[in-house]
Amino acid sequence: MPLDTSTYILAHLRLDGRRWNELRRLQAQMSTQAAADGSSYFEMGNTKIICTVAGPQEQKSGGGGRSQQDKAKIEVEVNFAGFSGMDRKKRARSDKRTSEMQHTIASAFESTLLTHLFPHSTITLNLHILSQDGSLLAACLNAATLALVDAGIPMTDYISATTVATTASYADKEEEADPLLDLNGLEEQELPFLTIASSGGEDRVCSLVLETKVHMARLEPMISVGLDGCSQIRGILDGVIRAHGRKVLEGKVG
Amino acid sequence: MTSLKRSHATITPTTTLSSKTYLRTLKSGKVQKIVRELYLRQDIPCSSQLCTVCLEQQASGYHQKAAPFVLSATPAATKQFPQGHYLIPDTNAFLNGMDLFEAEGAFTDVIVLQTVLEEVKNRSLPLYHRLIALTKNDGKRFYVFFNDFRLETYVQREAGETINDRNDRAIRKATAWYNEHLQQAASARKSVRCPAVVMISDDRDNIRKGKAENVTAFPLRDYVSQLPEADKLLDMIPERSSTRDGKAELFYPEYMSMSAMLTGVKAGTLHQGIFNVSTYNYLEGSVHVPAFDRQLIIQGRENSNRAVSGDVVVVEVLPKDQWKAPSSKVIEEDEVNKNENADNEDESEGIVTEQERRALQEEVKKTHASGLENQPRPTARVVGVIKRNWRQYVGHIDRDSVRGGSKNGQAQQTVFLIPMDKRVPKIRVRTRQAADLLGKRVLVAVDSWGRDSRYPVGHFVRSLGELETKGAETEALLLEWDVQYRPFPKTVLDCLPAEGHDWKVPASKEDPGWRGRRDLRDLIICSIDPPGCVDIDDALHAKKLPNGNFEVGVHIADVSNFVRPNNAMDKEASLRGTTVYLVDKRIDMLPMLLGTDLCSLKPYVERFAFSVIWELDQDANIVSADYTKSVIRSREAFSYQAAQLRIDDDSQQDELTQGMRRLMMLSKKLRGKRMAAGALNLASPEVRVEAESETSDPIDVKTKELLDTNQLVEEFMLLANISVASKINDAFPQTALLRRHAAPPKTNFEELSNQLKVKKGMELRTDSSKALADSLDTCAEPANPFFNTLVRILATRCMMSAEYFCAGTLSYPEFRHYGLASEIYTHFTSPIRRYADLEVHRQLAAAIDYEPLDASLQSRSKLEGVCRNINFRHRNAQQAGRASVEFYVGQALKGRVLEEDGFVMRIFSNGFVVFVPRFGIEGLIRLKDLAGSERDEVDGVFDQAEYKLEFDAVGKGKRTVELFQKVRVKIEDELEGSTGKRKIKLGLV
Repeated sequence: MPLDTSTYILAHLRLDGRRWNELRRLQAQMSTQAAADGSSYFEMGNTKIICTVAGPQEQKSGGGGRSQQDKAKIEVEVNFAGFSGMDRKKRARSDKRTSEMQHTIASAFESTLLTHLFPHSTITLNLHILSQDGSLLAACLNAATLALVDAGIPMTDYISATTVATTASYADKEEEADPLLDLNGLEEQELPFLTIASSGGEDRVCSLVLETKVHMARLEPMISVGLDGCSQIRGILDGVIRAHGRKVLEGKVG
Repeated sequence: MTSLKRSHATITPTTTLSSKTYLRTLKSGKVQKIVRELYLRQDIPCSSQLCTVCLEQQASGYHQKAAPFVLSATPAATKQFPQGHYLIPDTNAFLNGMDLFEAEGAFTDVIVLQTVLEEVKNRSLPLYHRLIALTKNDGKRFYVFFNDFRLETYVQREAGETINDRNDRAIRKATAWYNEHLQQAASARKSVRCPAVVMISDDRDNIRKGKAENVTAFPLRDYVSQLPEADKLLDMIPERSSTRDGKAELFYPEYMSMSAMLTGVKAGTLHQGIFNVSTYNYLEGSVHVPAFDRQLIIQGRENSNRAVSGDVVVVEVLPKDQWKAPSSKVIEEDEVNKNENADNEDESEGIVTEQERRALQEEVKKTHASGLENQPRPTARVVGVIKRNWRQYVGHIDRDSVRGGSKNGQAQQTVFLIPMDKRVPKIRVRTRQAADLLGKRVLVAVDSWGRDSRYPVGHFVRSLGELETKGAETEALLLEWDVQYRPFPKTVLDCLPAEGHDWKVPASKEDPGWRGRRDLRDLIICSIDPPGCVDIDDALHAKKLPNGNFEVGVHIADVSNFVRPNNAMDKEASLRGTTVYLVDKRIDMLPMLLGTDLCSLKPYVERFAFSVIWELDQDANIVSADYTKSVIRSREAFSYQAAQLRIDDDSQQDELTQGMRRLMMLSKKLRGKRMAAGALNLASPEVRVEAESETSDPIDVKTKELLDTNQLVEEFMLLANISVASKINDAFPQTALLRRHAAPPKTNFEELSNQLKVKKGMELRTDSSKALADSLDTCAEPANPFFNTLVRILATRCMMSAEYFCAGTLSYPEFRHYGLASEIYTHFTSPIRRYADLEVHRQLAAAIDYEPLDASLQSRSKLEGVCRNINFRHRNAQQAGRASVEFYVGQALKGRVLEEDGFVMRIFSNGFVVFVPRFGIEGLIRLKDLAGSERDEVDGVFDQAEYKLEFDAVGKGKRTVELFQKVRVKIEDELEGSTGKRKIKLGLV
């Protein structure tokens, strides 16, 4: 095995050579799938995702119609490509973790999308995960933001998301633990971490997922570093959207 | 269509991106392809204090703390590098010479490359941890340079290049970069002295390429030989196996491949277990595997195939016609192979020497003759080793293996080291200091055991001092049992309260120290301990309640108040696990200040305590139990004897004495109840060494006596432990730290119960602890009061050992403590000297909502690690204590000839083992010595079924010795000629 996260304290360098507050390389494109209403392709390091949006379209008749007639329903479907992880594993359709992810994404966007403009309709998000290397939920949220903008669905603000971990080996000096921004797969396996998503600048947290145990004293710095990361990502997303918008205006993209 | 092409632009000006792809084979045989990103940067400092550029651009962590620069601006100079030098060792240098790098005084200013660190981790985790420890040692100045993250030193693996070649190239590149970088730094400072950067590698090809690229490079051996203390240091480099002349014949069969072994074990054709060597016969080992009830026997060197006691091995069971009864003979290595030569292997006949063969031959004959009486047991042979359990061994140099001519010379030669542990084979060591090391205790490390060598090959680590001197022997046994005995480092001492010995319980009750504490200062509390005890863990009180019941309190030193979880002191304590008591020395788990002062429940002063307070009725049944942190003031500290006198003295009628009488009365009732439930009363041969107070030279040996007050304290401690155990188990059913004693498997008692049946017509029933306790009581001979104790000692040896465990790992019925006949048990009452108790204190404090539970005590995996370590430390501490008593008993007997009563404990065909209760020693009497014969082996008429041995004693005619027989023995000490070591020798009178 190569080195693990315990070597961080030796030189404040993470497993892939980053510092604590550095994001991985982010790449994003919009309107990648011409046939979809909106689409995007998003990379955070080696985590790669394609997102397509269908809708708003009329709700299928029958069954689901009863619940919320006055606003659009957001449906999310997450697909893992068989080659996305290290092992070729088939995920069951009713996988608990997948459905939890879908639910988290849907409820995050319910807070920013202006769904009341589209009663009796559905917005479907399809997320195809091509490659996984940590911060999966965060990448999904970012990709979905781009695709929803591409689809022209009105929203109050972007949702940008990232992950934050805390270094493990500082157990003796609680107050010296470093928060680490934007985790790759290996760090995610070894360290306690949370996923945070914000919209509307720094102050609105619209999703916060923490599945591991973290010491109380470490939580605050983790969240503040996370919010800072979110606003960095927001800047990048904004840049991508504006560049794409310019191209559309210039008529270069259909 | 839109294309998904992207540009490989850099993201920030200081970093560029690369990626690394590699394949990994899992244990299951699956191959994984792993792709990782790599961010290359330029702000990784060189960490030389010469350099100012790196200092300016150094990035810091979240807390703005930058790491101080490690490497000295004026590193050590040698003849060759008068301007000083930094070292960059390659992986093999660390793998081979870790002892060297750890040596005091040499090897400072070392740059550990990330490439090297990774490779070391791949090859050996223990070495990796030692290396990490070195980088944290301020005095050594080891710096880890992340060369694979720095743009200038990053090396991309080329097509067709092996990973080793790539890593070697990375090391050369880093060395070259350092060279250039330091020159720039030196010229920027206008300094004349620019340290050289020296690569250390044993790979000739690497050195050659290095030379071509203008990199200074040396093999480890050449580099060391330039250092001032070269001779001593050179011995610490292990022998390269390839340096032995090529034609050497192969003694041992080859090991199977790891995958073949694992498949075999899975399929059930092979078995995995821990290899144990018999203490009486070094040629016989045993392995316990789950598939067989009884242990598999491994006889002879060829079958044990280079396994050393403690290794995890894979064995193959031999065909039934080769099954044998366990050996009935004593074979000691130094007796059989006395005259072997360490230097040349070629003269000898092969793996098994003629003498060894003869010894084994007779074994086989015997088993065929004895027929059904002694059922043959399955035998096996070792086909491979999963995990070596090699550690550093202490021993002494075999005088006979030192070449005569060079006894005072400095020439290098190979000598044998005879380890203290009899179960470990001789170790071949190459040294230049053979003459100096004779008659000394020496620490060596084992490097390898090739197929072409009869004995393992090791290298010298250091000398502990003259044999038989107190210092050397004590250190030797501490090392042998892996006891951490170094003084506490500064980081640990920093965790102590700043007030030092002046610390007091805060006067004001508003102080945070009083939060949640009950004021019990007005209770009449006292402590009862062995004489001279300074670390007082526990104190007691008993009070009569108006309703006729009793209030009884056990007050335990509140160590967890001073030792906070996860600080340096806690870490050190968890590593040490327990205080180790030697005859003349105590190796503390916690610093003196806490153990003997601030935590110790000394009389007349106020102390923090953790109290368990029960209400007990007249029959000592628990009515209620209460747990609280408290402040107490002990009225008196008694020794067992003083307390006993006070209780017995009717003229004393004060409250304190009354309290003790109440405790005594209740403790007897508790004990009665416990015994009725089937608690075992076991015995171990315990003796106490009387030492002269000034010089601490031993003068006499006394067996320990037991008073009622001993049992008084014991009963209440057991009661407290049991109460606390169920309390924390209720609060934390997954993570409570408990102690269990498993019921011994029936087969353990087979031998003893058969012996008792044959020799004494007694029956040992072992179906439950109650049955065992009762039948042990019946094993008594009125004429011979010690016989019962002897049986108890032997029965104790058949038991499993008690162990700490984490509640979530077992089901409730398995929590049982067999010896105490209690459903649940833990250790709560000695937090000063046992780490388990400290953890239990923390759990109990959380269970009563005094403070939140630390994260480390909530994780089962972490607690399991703690349990593993404290079980290991606990066992070792006991062994070390026993070994220390043994050594001092030997010293006390030095130069004396005594006659004492002894009991025969075990019978072999060529000797028997006698136990002398007076000194608690067990010794072997060989027939050969009794016959006064010069021949190698003397056999008597050995009746295995009857445990009887008949032989001719010189001048006394025929004699018979039977098991359990009382014999009169002569005890004297003898200086062994070949080793210069003193041994206790027993003879039959």
